[in-house]
Amino acid sequence: MRVTVEVVGEDTHEVEVPADATYADLLQPLDVSPHEISVLVDGRPVPEDATVDAEEVTVLRLIKGG
Amino acid sequence: MLTIARETYDALVDHARSGTPAEVCGVLGGTHGDEASTATTARRVENVAETPRTRYALDAAEQLQAIEAIEAEGLETVGFYHSHPAGPPGPSETDAANATWPGVSYVIVVLDGAHPYVGSWRWTGEAFRQETVALR
Repeated sequence: MRVTVEVVGEDTHEVEVPADATYADLLQPLDVSPHEISVLVDGRPVPEDATVDAEEVTVLRLIKGG
Repeated sequence: MLTIARETYDALVDHARSGTPAEVCGVLGGTHGDEASTATTARRVENVAETPRTRYALDAAEQLQAIEAIEAEGLETVGFYHSHPAGPPGPSETDAANATWPGVSYVIVVLDGAHPYVGSWRWTGEAFRQETVALR
């Protein structure tokens, strides 16, 4: 399946993945670390180990610290 | 350099003071440049860190909403802010270890003195580089 992945503030990518791919699999072609980002669908975070169930996905760099 | 509109500066300080002793955080909107940005709006985002007196973490869904709201106004994401109610007056080791967004300003509102201090640092991808803060 083909998924549109928008990295907020950066680029939008078209990623081709198998039907049983996880959201983490979508990140592999991108220059982002899973520890640094949150994956959102329709504005809500989704577990990165869940199977992809959306044609459009948003990747957001997490802002945190001390 | 980061130029902050006076009312935006006041909004940051008010937010930091009202949240004490916890850290507060949010998104800054305006016009972004690699060397000079201007912040003209601040959008509060809930701090969802488990220990908010010493840590901050923007709620991801709220962070996205704030960024989209800024873009809907025709503005850009200039950076992010958080408070240090008890110092230090700059990025902590935790801030550097968790920084993720190259090129934007990380503003810190420090409240450990008689008067607030607002500083700004750009994340280069490897380190924080302090930038001049101006009010207009």
